[in-house]
Amino acid sequence: MIQIYFKIAWRNLMKRKFYALVSILGLSVGITFTLLIGTYIWGELQVNADLKNVENQYLIQSKWKKPDIGLEITTLAPLAKTLKENYPNLVKNYYGFEGYTSTISNGDRVFREDIQIGDATLLNMYGFQLLYGDSKTALNQPYTMVISSEQAIKYFGKLDCLGKSLTIESNAGQKKSFMITGVLGKVNTNSVMNLLSDTRIPILMSFESSKFWGIEKYFAWNNPYNVGYVELRNGVNPATVAQVMTKLIKANAPENISTNLQAYLVPMKDVYLEANNGIVKKTIFTLLFVALFILVMAIVNFINMSIGNSVTRLKEIGVRKMLGSEKGQLIRQFLAESILISLFSLLISLILYEVFQPFFGEMLHKKIPSLLTVSSYFYLFAVLFAVLIGLLSGIYPAFILSNLPSIDSLKGKLKSIKENIFFRRLLIVSQFTIALFVFVGAFVISKQVNYFFNKDLGYQKEAVVTLSVPRDWSPVGVDKMERIRDELAKLKEVSQVSLSYDIPAGHGGNNNAFYKMGQDSTQAVYIQTITTDEKYADTYQIPMVAGAYFQRKQESFQAGKIVLNETGIKTLGFKNPTEAIGKEIRIHYYPQPFTIVGVTKDFHIASMHKAISPLVFMNVRDFPFFRYLSFKIQPNNLAQSLSSIEQKWRVLMPGSAFEYTFIDDTLQKLYQSEIQLKKASQVATILSIIIVLLGILGMVSMSIARRTKELGIRKVLGASSISIVMLFLKEFIILVVIAIAISFPLGIISMNHWLTTYAYRIQLDWQTFLTVALGFSLIIAIFVFLQTFKTALENPIKSLKTE
Amino acid sequence: MLQLKNIFRWYNSGVNRAFVLRDISLTIEQGEFVSIMGPSGSGKSTLLHVLGMMDEPNEGEYSFLGENVLKIKEKQRAELYKKHIGFVFQAYHLIDELTVYENIETPLLYHGIGSSERKSMVADILDRFNIVGKKDLFPNQLSGGQQQLVGIARAIITKPNLILADEPTGNLNSKQGQEIMELFKTLNEEGVTIIQVTHSEKNATYGSRIIELLDGRIER
Repeated sequence: MIQIYFKIAWRNLMKRKFYALVSILGLSVGITFTLLIGTYIWGELQVNADLKNVENQYLIQSKWKKPDIGLEITTLAPLAKTLKENYPNLVKNYYGFEGYTSTISNGDRVFREDIQIGDATLLNMYGFQLLYGDSKTALNQPYTMVISSEQAIKYFGKLDCLGKSLTIESNAGQKKSFMITGVLGKVNTNSVMNLLSDTRIPILMSFESSKFWGIEKYFAWNNPYNVGYVELRNGVNPATVAQVMTKLIKANAPENISTNLQAYLVPMKDVYLEANNGIVKKTIFTLLFVALFILVMAIVNFINMSIGNSVTRLKEIGVRKMLGSEKGQLIRQFLAESILISLFSLLISLILYEVFQPFFGEMLHKKIPSLLTVSSYFYLFAVLFAVLIGLLSGIYPAFILSNLPSIDSLKGKLKSIKENIFFRRLLIVSQFTIALFVFVGAFVISKQVNYFFNKDLGYQKEAVVTLSVPRDWSPVGVDKMERIRDELAKLKEVSQVSLSYDIPAGHGGNNNAFYKMGQDSTQAVYIQTITTDEKYADTYQIPMVAGAYFQRKQESFQAGKIVLNETGIKTLGFKNPTEAIGKEIRIHYYPQPFTIVGVTKDFHIASMHKAISPLVFMNVRDFPFFRYLSFKIQPNNLAQSLSSIEQKWRVLMPGSAFEYTFIDDTLQKLYQSEIQLKKASQVATILSIIIVLLGILGMVSMSIARRTKELGIRKVLGASSISIVMLFLKEFIILVVIAIAISFPLGIISMNHWLTTYAYRIQLDWQTFLTVALGFSLIIAIFVFLQTFKTALENPIKSLKTE
Repeated sequence: MLQLKNIFRWYNSGVNRAFVLRDISLTIEQGEFVSIMGPSGSGKSTLLHVLGMMDEPNEGEYSFLGENVLKIKEKQRAELYKKHIGFVFQAYHLIDELTVYENIETPLLYHGIGSSERKSMVADILDRFNIVGKKDLFPNQLSGGQQQLVGIARAIITKPNLILADEPTGNLNSKQGQEIMELFKTLNEEGVTIIQVTHSEKNATYGSRIIELLDGRIER
């Protein structure tokens, strides 16, 4: 029987090729989008899923009463280890690490790499497999390391490089050879190795090696910048461990930390989805909604077309009933047809999937697997999904058609199905509403994203290049780096160079506690602090409100000077910038006070999510910490400027990596998820308009076919071509107006809600909505016009003859 | 076989009732060949539809093979006519998307008959009606007479004991019409009850009994 249903369905489709094609195209747009989004979401849900014993794995996170003392994803350095040692019946295993970046080389292959210095437990605790080396012992010895397959290829050109060495540079400018004791196999994205960057795998080494950087002393209870993980024993409640952690912190950590910190456990299953305020989760939900919207629109097209077409099926339905067909059998017959259409759409979708998969991957910053590499479950799911879509879109028309009175349909009394016109209009209105809503969303999101880049940031980002430099964090190192800076500044392509610890849109510096002279240290405020040289303000053209940026030209360096931004001044309790100049303030742990010599205007060093926060600049000569050189270069020939900088750099710093970034690109990275949202919403808009137009294409051509005679008569009676076009257009315009009335309020509410997540944002204005309304109406009008104008011009006699 | 008692059928047009059938009482025995005649609008087709359970009267009783048709449930009624009644239409009403073979096969599908049995039943009928060579053609490739032949083949394949025919020769030329009527006669002789609506006196003579309708009443 099923076979026969499909045979008849096939003949019906062949007979109405045009409508079948329009339905299939619409559905394939929806299915393709859903498949792409589906594989993306599946990939995101797989992050951390293959960690060993993932149910019991947790990351220790921190809640701070004063938000600027420490980070959320880091914890106190010895916490994880102490938990395991003191509570072995609760905690089965632990891993903690400290993130670093350094220059690593094998001969002339020199790159900057992330390094993860952590406990030797890593490989066994999470079950990471080594291609070469013994995972039980690989991290036990000092000055050894485990690298990824990519790194093995990058430095040695082959995978098997056990026993070979790479040279690593310390922050004190020393170099040392580290032996490779393990090469990782394929590692899926996980929040142990990819906590900070989800694209690169860091070089792994044990805490034993930390002596090389001289950071072993930071493995202490006053350092809140380490990452800590624990594996709990079966059945242990994370809340119990949280209580224990509070106890340990109280007993061990310094008071300013223990009174402010509350440590808690986040399951590894959730870490990735919940990171950065749940950005991944939000993205998943947003995309899921968009996919659902698009699918609904495609299904609406299908339903409209099936019902519109049903006139041609009336006789068949009647005869079948006469021959003893039950309603259920008729319904199955129609469902077979819609499933067939849906399966065809799936075929086209698979082709579209393969074509658009690279584009989507780029948009979402995730590799979306090609059809050749997906598992067979993908196909199983895809077919089931197509069948489901077929059922969903076929069920309503099937019920309507199988319920028609049989005699009337046989006699041809039933010319069309009048009762459904309201319902069909409702469908179209809902379709238009979705499209307009998506359109408004895309428009507002792009406006906000453009605002990020075009708003006056308070500094000049054009033609500024930053270079990561080797870290010799000593007064000698600063001297050397400043000499190099001055050499590079002599290049004619370069107008300014500055040495600093952080750059605008960068990772953010550390926080220090500041208080005014005469205040008690408990009244200290935590303020983000970056170290720079005195050329920083000039390079980024940050205006001064009062005083000078450390020193005026020709003045020489004097220790103990400090610069703040306007907000920083206010936070410290000064009335105005001029009042602050010359005042002394103190920093926790430093005996000598610092003198405020300058106040900069506020600028956007971080993203526009948050209001500009207080900021302190300290001189790199007082605190020898630096990471970047920033170059202001001639904008007219960037490539030329970069290559002269590189040549000079190679001469001045032989054997170190030259890896530069434009501030514009750094800024792009800062707003990566917003840019992603912008692109996704634009794609969604294009898709929904395609589906709307396909729907209109189907409906107008059906309407023309049905009204050929009427149109002929009208023209014989003297109707103009335009009035004929208007006949079709009128109906759609009314529906557009209703859709606007529904979608715009929804758009205003949801977009305002979205905008409130930014401290700096655009205002919704009526121009935006007018543009969307006019744009949408115009697209529809032009489309209907193109389709109907030909009919309107035709000789009326011809159309009358066809009856 | 079937019995109508005081059947009324009307439509509401405005405040008035437009009567189509008025007080029809009628008994038809197994094996009869009845022709219903009358001018246009006299209610012939409506009567046939009521007999075929495609239309319900507003008043009256209808018993078919001893069952009170108007009292039983829709599903049982469908079962009843599926089992016992075959329809032949003036406009043939073949399904355009199906071949001759498939059109004839369709009622068997709805009767839930197995595939091999279906095949032999359809083959028998094609053979009997001499249309084996046309089995893979679609309705629009056949002449009117051939289409009606297929229509009748489709109606009798389920071996009904009642055939209802609504002007079966109305769209045919006289020679084709004669052939169809001969076929009906043969079927009737094999024991099938036939009720046909017709305009033609000549066709009516093939039957054993004529019922004449005028303005919804039985005249004779």
